[in-house]
Amino acid sequence: MTSRIHERQIVRHRLAQACCALLSFALLFPVVGCAAHPHAIVIGSKNFTEQLILGELFAQIIEAHTHLPVERRFYLAGTFICQQAMLAGRIDIYPEYTGTALTAVLKQPPGGNKQEVYAHVRDAYETKFNLAVGPPLGFDDTFAIEIRGDDARRLHLTTLSQAAAYTPQWRAGFGYEFMERADGYKGLATSYGLRFAEPPRVMDLGLLARSLVQKQVDLIAGNNTDGLISALDLFVLEDDHHYFPPYEALAVMRREMLKMHPEVKQALDLLAGKISDDDMRRLNYAVDGQHRDPVTIVREFLAAHNLL
Amino acid sequence: MSATPISLASSNGSAIEFDRVFFSLNGRPLLENLTLSVSQGETLVLLGRSGSGKTTTLKLINGLLMPVEGEVRVSGRSTRTWDPIRLRRSIGYVIQDGGLFPHFTVERNIALVPRIEGWDRQRIEARVRELLELVGLDVELASRYPSELSGGQRQRVGVARALAADPPILILDEAFSALDPITRSEMQKEFRALQRRMRKAVVFVTHDLREALLLADRIALMEEGRVVVNLPMAEFRVSQHPLVRAYREAFSGPEETR
Amino acid sequence: MDLLHFISTNRQQVIELTIEHITLAGVSTLIAALVGIPLGIAITRIPALSKPVIGSANVIQTIPSLALFGFLIPAPWIGERAERLAILALALYGLLPLIRNTYAGIRGVDPGVVEAGRAMGLTDRQLLFQVELPLASGVIVAGVRIAAVLSIGLATIAAAIGAGGLGEFIFRGLAMVNNQVILAGAIPAALLALAADFLLGLLERRLTSLQSRS
Repeated sequence: MTSRIHERQIVRHRLAQACCALLSFALLFPVVGCAAHPHAIVIGSKNFTEQLILGELFAQIIEAHTHLPVERRFYLAGTFICQQAMLAGRIDIYPEYTGTALTAVLKQPPGGNKQEVYAHVRDAYETKFNLAVGPPLGFDDTFAIEIRGDDARRLHLTTLSQAAAYTPQWRAGFGYEFMERADGYKGLATSYGLRFAEPPRVMDLGLLARSLVQKQVDLIAGNNTDGLISALDLFVLEDDHHYFPPYEALAVMRREMLKMHPEVKQALDLLAGKISDDDMRRLNYAVDGQHRDPVTIVREFLAAHNLL
Repeated sequence: MSATPISLASSNGSAIEFDRVFFSLNGRPLLENLTLSVSQGETLVLLGRSGSGKTTTLKLINGLLMPVEGEVRVSGRSTRTWDPIRLRRSIGYVIQDGGLFPHFTVERNIALVPRIEGWDRQRIEARVRELLELVGLDVELASRYPSELSGGQRQRVGVARALAADPPILILDEAFSALDPITRSEMQKEFRALQRRMRKAVVFVTHDLREALLLADRIALMEEGRVVVNLPMAEFRVSQHPLVRAYREAFSGPEETR
Repeated sequence: MDLLHFISTNRQQVIELTIEHITLAGVSTLIAALVGIPLGIAITRIPALSKPVIGSANVIQTIPSLALFGFLIPAPWIGERAERLAILALALYGLLPLIRNTYAGIRGVDPGVVEAGRAMGLTDRQLLFQVELPLASGVIVAGVRIAAVLSIGLATIAAAIGAGGLGEFIFRGLAMVNNQVILAGAIPAALLALAADFLLGLLERRLTSLQSRS
């Protein structure tokens, strides 16, 4: 008679038990999470070699100069993702470039010299995002117009304006993005009055350096800090018209984290101006060309500069 | 807050009146020139085959349908002017197989209208017990679900539910047609006894002549949306109207034409 | 096993990303239910609306998820934070199963029972809450189950736009060409989906059996 009522009551009881279990399980997470680690400093980076090296630099210098635990979250897939992660508090620090911050994050047109761009980015990041920006690390990862070292020496070329005289006899090779961007090839050609023997060859970034060395092309656009520049005896022409915006590398940091741990900023400031264009190229080459471990080469670098 | 009892009858004593009602659906006429009345205390049986318009007639009483022409009056007021909710709560409705809510216990099913009318718990509990007894069901069944009951038990619950708020009018649509003959016969007799006690205005739809003869005070025979014959039971039984004869023959074999 | 080692050394991150993932999927499914169930109820009342409503939900379904995430990035307020964007997009995807199941569930209730209820004088609201919704609850919960599992799966893609969650392991692992990291994201996500499917399936079955045939 009462079996049906009883059954229903059992079911209701079980359901209630299940809900309680789920709820407590869900609530447990934050507790367990917090207990597992006192808050570590999370360092993010994008997914190419230079970013991994810079991220590792930040991590090791903080580990060396503070007592704080550090967590690495490298290989984040791009600027947008890093920015979102900063805003959400998922990462505390990551390496960024002034030019990228200006155009990709703040969505403003490129323009201005290094100091102007840096100041503008620093101020805008503080007011808009409540993020702090560290001092420039010392190198500029801007676009680099490269020619063979032989040609540079033979023709006594140091600047792009000088090279413009010879380009009608040369062939150029560029990557897809450089060809498409408004502040890429088109603007460059206009600024320097460049003309080439034939339309530029478009090819994969990885093949550009090799084509230059093998004389299939005479001029390419690469990155200023490419590891292969010295190794392949390539020469970077000076951008005397200041056509390319500056891409000075620095650390972007969460101000909340800095309020709690001001020693983090002190540690990172030790890197100010310590990494020259050449230094970065060598570090990139060690990983890309010699396939060495980023952790080791960063430690060596810091030791060599008495930063450990 | 319980419902105020409905005033029992209009000035001429009829609880339900159909006044030259015409009803059609999607252009198809279903009822034509329907005129009849049911007094308080009277049981009218609507007899007819499937499609004759019996169920449509019932639905015009409780406002599920509205006449296209003419007027249906309940307790002297046109169904067009009644608040449909109040109208329906004043009419008990029993359908084939009960129409019980499968997710309610027997008790909750019976208590439905009293609950939504805001009766207090004690009154409802007492009423449910009273009704279970009235329809001949064991009080222990109150906590069962319809799926656990037999067809006859479900039908009794359906009747109990219809009677719960003590409405002055009861309409039943083939209420006993799905039951086995023995149960059916029991239900008919019990219903007849209930009727004599309660004196409600009852409209009972069936296609079964014997049921009609057993339960009716009056019988209205419907065919193709019209009332063809409308007579007190005793007269109907011996009427020589061709359709009535056809019915009698269908139930008991051919008659001799005197 | 290497994967277990990776998970235990990176416990903090795994837990954090799992909570983010559950939040993304949970909040979006909740929103989808809060919007989709009333919409489903509305179209049972106003049949003229059923085609446009279900049609719109269908169209949303056909947009590839990554594309929808991308469209919404320039939107004011929503696009500023990836989590908001992801939750909105995931909620949009959850609408169709909830609207459709609510609609089908209510329409699937025995019309005889509904008519009996109406004939006894239940108001539309009483019919809805006391008869139709309880009897349709099993099917509606099935809709929630579908939306939840869908959300958990799509939330992995949300990491591509920076919303976090277990997808972040997957994308990082792809960039690092490191299977451990990929699996550290993929396996918990799959387990979450299975758990949601199982638990909601249990609830669905209970509700359906409680409302069994008359």
